[in-house]
Amino acid sequence: MHAPAFLRLTYRNIRVNMDLGTMIFMLGLPALYLLVMGTMLQNIIPGVELSSSKISYTHFLGPGIVAMQTLTAGNIGGGMLWSDRRWGMFEQLLVGPFKRTDYLLGIIMVAIIFAVAGSLIMLGLSVSISGGFILSWISVSLTLFSIILGTMLFSSLFLIISTLAKTMQTYNTITIALFFVLDFASSAFYPIPTTSDAVIRAISLSNPLTYIVDVTRTALIGVPDTTTYMYAIAMLVLTIVLFAIARLLYRTVRSGV
Amino acid sequence: MDGPGSEFLQKNFNRDHEYGVVLHSEEYAIRTRNIVKSYDGRHNAVDDISFDVARGEIYGLLGKNGAGKSTTIKMLTTLIKPTSGTIEVLGMEPSKQSIQIRKRIGVVQQSESFDFATVENNLRIYGMLWEVPREVVSARIEELLDLFELTEFRKVRAFELSGGQKKKLQVARELVHDMDILFLDEPTVGMDPIMRRRILDSIKDRVKNGLTVLFTTHFLEEADYICDRIAIMSEGKIRVEGTSSELKEKYGGLRTLEIITRENGSPDGMDRLREQLVSTELASEVKGQGKTITILGKSISRNLDQILSSLKTLGITIDSINLRDATLDDVFIEVVNS
Repeated sequence: MHAPAFLRLTYRNIRVNMDLGTMIFMLGLPALYLLVMGTMLQNIIPGVELSSSKISYTHFLGPGIVAMQTLTAGNIGGGMLWSDRRWGMFEQLLVGPFKRTDYLLGIIMVAIIFAVAGSLIMLGLSVSISGGFILSWISVSLTLFSIILGTMLFSSLFLIISTLAKTMQTYNTITIALFFVLDFASSAFYPIPTTSDAVIRAISLSNPLTYIVDVTRTALIGVPDTTTYMYAIAMLVLTIVLFAIARLLYRTVRSGV
Repeated sequence: MDGPGSEFLQKNFNRDHEYGVVLHSEEYAIRTRNIVKSYDGRHNAVDDISFDVARGEIYGLLGKNGAGKSTTIKMLTTLIKPTSGTIEVLGMEPSKQSIQIRKRIGVVQQSESFDFATVENNLRIYGMLWEVPREVVSARIEELLDLFELTEFRKVRAFELSGGQKKKLQVARELVHDMDILFLDEPTVGMDPIMRRRILDSIKDRVKNGLTVLFTTHFLEEADYICDRIAIMSEGKIRVEGTSSELKEKYGGLRTLEIITRENGSPDGMDRLREQLVSTELASEVKGQGKTITILGKSISRNLDQILSSLKTLGITIDSINLRDATLDDVFIEVVNS
């Protein structure tokens, strides 16, 4: 049976990335955020207001951690290009029975698989400590839409960095800084009140993770409204733009770094 | 052939590319005409080269670093496009049928490349990528691990291997799948002489089955051992091309005859010998030091009898003689320096 080239590459990417380090990065750290930070902060945060009702902090944090999987998986996917360029496999695969597009699809696919699997695990963990979420076809579709699109968005972002970074130091510095800003200047850990500092608020509101978190959170524990769908459209537009840039830059990548 | 891996080679001599497409009709596996590659538009990394590689031939590309060998391989393996000129690989044009070409070639690149997985999984993943049936991959992995002496490292992660072992893994990995042309860009760097010879023998054996090989190396004795024809590149151009013996004959320079005598030679005796050999054009140069006489000439082997009788006439008793033929190193130095 012939498996399409991009699926063979996806399988290869899964095999290569299924190591302890990646699993800790992908599941261990978000689980600790939820279990340690969530339960500890719950003691000092009485409750968070969402869709005109008050919910516990861990209940609020759960969808944020679920949505954060898009950033982590996007980083793993996009970072694969960097890693393959660094260790010679990019050029090696390009002289194999694959098209350039197959390689790109293989990266996006593995990121989506990791993101969906990671989100389900985080969702399960979240349910076990803070109770259930809304389960309807709208909430499930909106969450899936948000996770898949978010992963494509961040994969494109990290692909762009992978094509531009010339040294490992540059790549690591940029990704660590981005991770910090995107994670903590988003609505994943806390709501963004209108009273917060204007600069921080501006960064948070221009942060794509904020939109992914808000759509996921509303889908899982709130009531989707016009704003939710506006955020979803904004995500879609940004993903298309970033993916187009990533694809353009990717076509010019020749070999190793 | 005996020794580890021989069973593998035996089996593979007779294998008729069960899973690949075999080149049957084309006379040439590779044809290039006037190919030029410039990265910056000013300097040509490859400068108007033309050569053909027949099916089942081992063709060596030699040259200093930066001579254009790897760029040539990159163009032939569809990684980069030539600035001008035409290329045909297996009767196909890389610019139009790159994927069809890539399905029928194997490439061991100069730079190291491996997945972050164990040695065994590197081979297994590669077999899966090339759609080699699982049971065939399993059998080949055992044979290749044995052939390349990697069995004890099968569970070791590739990045933990030494440079030579990584190179062995790279070559082994490429042999997991079938192909019509194998491109080897310095495949034996960092390997011990025994392993180098074993790899070369394994390649020679595969060639008997119709495989075509394009080979680059800095070990000229390897090229001499394995290549049917050799091209020496310098500054992007092919300077000379031919069989090893043709190149040695044409560009090898002077042969050296070293004679160890029973007694130390006298300056007077050396002058007479020089006069006899040089004036009769049996040799170009005669040098003596202690018990050693060194005679240089282009046709030393042809004139050996006359040279030895001249020594006898002059009363020189010979203990031992050593005739050193021109090597590919001599050819390489001559061609590249000129």
